[in-house]
Amino acid sequence: MATVVQPGSTGKVGESQRHTESIYQDTTAKWFLLSSIAYFFVVGIIALTIAAKFVWPELLGTIQYLTYGRLRPLHVNGMLFGWLLPADMGLAYYVVPRLCGVKLWSEKLGVATALLWNFIVLGAVVTLPMGLNKGWEYGELPLPLTLLVVVAWVMFGVNIFATIANRRYPQMYVSLWYVMGCILWTTFVYPTGNIAVYFTTGTNQANLNWMYVHNAVGLIFTPIGLAMAYYFIPKASGAPLFSHKLSMVGFWSLAFVYVWTGAHHMLHGPISQWLQTIAITFSVMLLIPVWTVVYNFFATMKGQWHQLGDNVPLKFTMSGVVFYLLTCFQGPMHSLRSVNAIVSKTDWIPGHAHMALLGCFSFFAIAGVYYAIPRMFHTTLHSDALANWTFWFFMIGGLGFFVTLWLGGFWQGWQWNNPSIPFIDTVVALKPVWTVRFFSGVLMFLGITTFLYNMLATVLSGSKTETVKAAA
Amino acid sequence: MLGKTDKSAIGFVVAALVFFFIGGVLTTVVPPLIDKSWSKPFENDDASKGPTGKLRPYTELELKGRAVYVREGCWYCHTQQTRTLLADTKRSGWKGVDSPISTPDEFVYDTPHMFGTKRTGPDLSRVGGKYDTQWHRTHFRNPRDLVKGSVMPPFPWIVDNPDEFTALVAYIQTLGRAKNWRPDNDYEK
Repeated sequence: MATVVQPGSTGKVGESQRHTESIYQDTTAKWFLLSSIAYFFVVGIIALTIAAKFVWPELLGTIQYLTYGRLRPLHVNGMLFGWLLPADMGLAYYVVPRLCGVKLWSEKLGVATALLWNFIVLGAVVTLPMGLNKGWEYGELPLPLTLLVVVAWVMFGVNIFATIANRRYPQMYVSLWYVMGCILWTTFVYPTGNIAVYFTTGTNQANLNWMYVHNAVGLIFTPIGLAMAYYFIPKASGAPLFSHKLSMVGFWSLAFVYVWTGAHHMLHGPISQWLQTIAITFSVMLLIPVWTVVYNFFATMKGQWHQLGDNVPLKFTMSGVVFYLLTCFQGPMHSLRSVNAIVSKTDWIPGHAHMALLGCFSFFAIAGVYYAIPRMFHTTLHSDALANWTFWFFMIGGLGFFVTLWLGGFWQGWQWNNPSIPFIDTVVALKPVWTVRFFSGVLMFLGITTFLYNMLATVLSGSKTETVKAAA
Repeated sequence: MLGKTDKSAIGFVVAALVFFFIGGVLTTVVPPLIDKSWSKPFENDDASKGPTGKLRPYTELELKGRAVYVREGCWYCHTQQTRTLLADTKRSGWKGVDSPISTPDEFVYDTPHMFGTKRTGPDLSRVGGKYDTQWHRTHFRNPRDLVKGSVMPPFPWIVDNPDEFTALVAYIQTLGRAKNWRPDNDYEK
């Protein structure tokens, strides 16, 4: 195992990587990362708006294009397909060539993919407020945009797989498996929730829909997010990954277990009891891949924890790991029937979902962007202090958001289970919770703003350095 | 066997897809083949077996109303499922009568399905026939005029469009009506 390809090791591979650093063009990665950060900011405004509507329901209320039901899908799709997925794809375009020791197979194809992706996101920004909504959660985008997502995904997959096929190092580091797994599974998961649903109705359709919704998180954002954590934790800390074998256990148990759990979104609902039981069983088994992965990350950090103080990418990744552990403990727990009877359909659920996609996977992506952007532009980060502010804005805003929604959601669930309490009283009771959520959102938006500013300033100083070099 | 998959990309691809397809096929393709109630519309004339009634397809008007319901994202805040929880059957109930639980055979004509995941507002699986057109008109114009403390958005552009408003109300009145479960069948009586 001494020769395992390690992003953080100082072995032979690391050296040859350093010598060849100049072969990586990163044009595609730059396109994807910069546009995703811009959408993070724009969609952040939408997020704040819909959070404000819970506190002030009349806000922008008579304009149909800005009503809650039109902006919420824009928030969800914008964050998922405008920010997080393209950020992870951009990081994949950065990481995969370096782990393979070769150039990206085709920068031209990559840039075309980035342009197509931007077209899709801008299309969503126009069509969703118009009310062109297919009616499936996470699958709202109108059909033409859906089909373009499939095309863009194939373009991404071809580029990554062709790069991996050309690799100089025979052994593939664990980040490569996760990126490949994500590409392969998404190719089936995405059409299930966006195209196969057209040929079904009712419960059958809902079952396909939840298979997609659950695996959009489990087999798209989890593997590509973990790929980045597996790369950037060793890179940012300079410590090699604790165990290659353990990463293998984590990967293959994830590959097997995740896809079975979709029906846990319908517990107690109009779907066969035996399918609910299968979904619960496999949901609990998810603890296996999660705990092996988290143990591997913590063990990698052994003796390195002092670095957390001044290493912002490491701060984001390791907090992301803790949120991953928490969110993936909640998941199996509220798939249990007794817990589900309290928390399901309450505000607990957005608390849980935001911890997964914001607290964990967005933290991983932000860490990757902080690490990669200065290196891609051959410069240094504009401001370490501002990066630290970004982290604390996200951390405090995020915790405020998660914790109040969990408490509020549990409280709401208990009230619902006492039918003598009129429903409207359970709505009014949540208003303080929604107010805290809004102000937590303001903090997170400050995090996004400082992140955007820091990145833009870094990129601009980078292009100045390059001009100076060229002039000299 | 899996030890080799980190050196052979082809071996990796095959293993990753096999692992995925076992669970994928068994939980999406197989269940509707086993459980026929997912595709057979509800019909029961034997009162000893539970509520009687028959699920009928939507009319053109109701489908148009349903499209408005989908377009406005009503389903982000309103579920359509009375779950197997005592509290749900009470809350979906009406005037002291508990609602029957929702079963897959009541939703066979639904596409896109509107089961929902979040209850910011009350569940609507049995709302059909509970409130009349005038109530809905006032409520859609400004929910807080009828329900103090509500956070539902106002929908003046629907109320001001008689075609859309009529269609939407027609759709809402069908919800949960396949099963005859109330002594009084309608708000008119």
